[in-house]
Amino acid sequence: MERREDGRDWAYRVDPYGFERPDDFDYASYEAFFSRYLVVLTRRAIKWSKLLKGNNNIQKSIKVKRYIRKGIPNEHRALIWMIVSGAQTNMEQNPGYYHRLLEEEKNDKLVEAIKTDMNRTFPDNIKFRKTADPCLQHALYNVLVAYGHHNKAVGYCQGMNFIAGYLILITKNEEESFWLLDALIGRILPDYYSPAMLGLKTDQEVLGELVKMKVPAVAELMERHGVMWTLVVSRWFICLFIDILPVETVLRIWDCLFYEGSKIIFRVALTLIKQHQAFILEATNFPDICDKFKQITKGTFVTECHSFMQKIFTDPGSLSMATINKLRETCREKLLSQG
Amino acid sequence: MTSRGAARPNGQSQASKICQFKLVLLGESAVGKSSLVLRFVKGQFHEYQESTIGAAFLTQSVCLDDTTVKFEIWDTAGQERYHSLAPMYYRGAQAAIVVYDITNQETFARAKTWVKELQRQASPSIVIALAGNKADLASKRMVEYEEAQAYADDNSLLFMETSAKTAMNVNDLFLAIAKKLPKSEPQSTSGAAGRSRGVDLHEQSQQNKSQCCSN
Repeated sequence: MERREDGRDWAYRVDPYGFERPDDFDYASYEAFFSRYLVVLTRRAIKWSKLLKGNNNIQKSIKVKRYIRKGIPNEHRALIWMIVSGAQTNMEQNPGYYHRLLEEEKNDKLVEAIKTDMNRTFPDNIKFRKTADPCLQHALYNVLVAYGHHNKAVGYCQGMNFIAGYLILITKNEEESFWLLDALIGRILPDYYSPAMLGLKTDQEVLGELVKMKVPAVAELMERHGVMWTLVVSRWFICLFIDILPVETVLRIWDCLFYEGSKIIFRVALTLIKQHQAFILEATNFPDICDKFKQITKGTFVTECHSFMQKIFTDPGSLSMATINKLRETCREKLLSQG
Repeated sequence: MTSRGAARPNGQSQASKICQFKLVLLGESAVGKSSLVLRFVKGQFHEYQESTIGAAFLTQSVCLDDTTVKFEIWDTAGQERYHSLAPMYYRGAQAAIVVYDITNQETFARAKTWVKELQRQASPSIVIALAGNKADLASKRMVEYEEAQAYADDNSLLFMETSAKTAMNVNDLFLAIAKKLPKSEPQSTSGAAGRSRGVDLHEQSQQNKSQCCSN
């Protein structure tokens, strides 16, 4: 909120995170939404400051989970992500580790792959431009190089650049971004980014199974036209909705992702599909279906992040971790047997 | 919305036939696959194009005489890691553009392995085009035109050097592919352009431009 004081012209063209708004950005409806959301943000900010009582520490609890589902105020976001993901503990238990990684001898291939993507990570964000001062490309480079040396089995996979970029925008701190990236890739997400990408392929199939259970007509449409789930949703998983959904909505999703884990991704995906069921079912051919899946991630429904986040916990119905784990197991076996 | 809104107005709406083809772009990371598509579909170029994750889907049509050829384009991620996802994108594709960067010899080697994979795994009738992109950076050239042309000839590929930045040969490449694709009667229009050797497209391109809705 406080960023809006920086000047209306600037705030209009560039969002608070540095992303340039597209030419066709609907300012009027965004203003209408934001003035309502501001009320929510203010209420939540008061609640959170009472919860934290200035000691900047929390324990996981039903109350904290509820608070997180209603959104972490931006000024506390980095801290709460650090605590609930376990990143804070890891950072404290490994003092100096991040900086030692950066001093190590580097793997040339890894460095080259990361360098290739420096100018190709958020070219629409003014803070990531070469000309920006400070230019966040340096932090991005360091975090990705350190992570590639820390987790050699994963190294660097395209997509991680966008995730690390978001972490840097929120924490404004390289070391914290590194430990949050480790929490996501090392613990919260199954192996999405390792060379075989088996976790990613599995989760795409799991989503297909969940759609069969919860939105069968859409599953039937996909099957009839031979549209594999990976064609329309791979980016949802790999980039955790970055560039798919509006920034504010992505951050609200990540609040829950850090606390509740990867099942949040399925909740979001199922909500998008279920909400737009009738619209998706209008598609009569393969390209139509692909087009519909692009469109369902745009518009008021996803911009209104507060009501969207309420819907992800009600619309898809019950979704237990046991169900997901079971589906993951069967889908994984099926993929492995297919070779 | 993006793909549909992006399709340029079709200059020959009276075209009697509409043919749809699935086309996939393959090639090493950062050779300009997305930039070629952006140039072809929207007529735009960004100096820094965001890296493609998974794949992007777009459509664009070109007109050939009385036929509208509608391309369903799958623009894939170039990083080696995404290789295992690629078969899902080229499966059932009638055309492929394998892209390399003329300033980087390694990307040409990678293009060759893509061509081999397509010849082995994709549909036997797939039309493969080789694009040597970033032709505007001729002063940094590392892959000779003749070398690539000879390779394309040996493998019956369409071949052009392109520049997504200057738009050089971008529409022409898609047009050449459209020409080579079988329309209603399979193979009837592919004629001499057949599969025995690569075709020199430079002479045909001007002509194509004038009769088609490309801009």
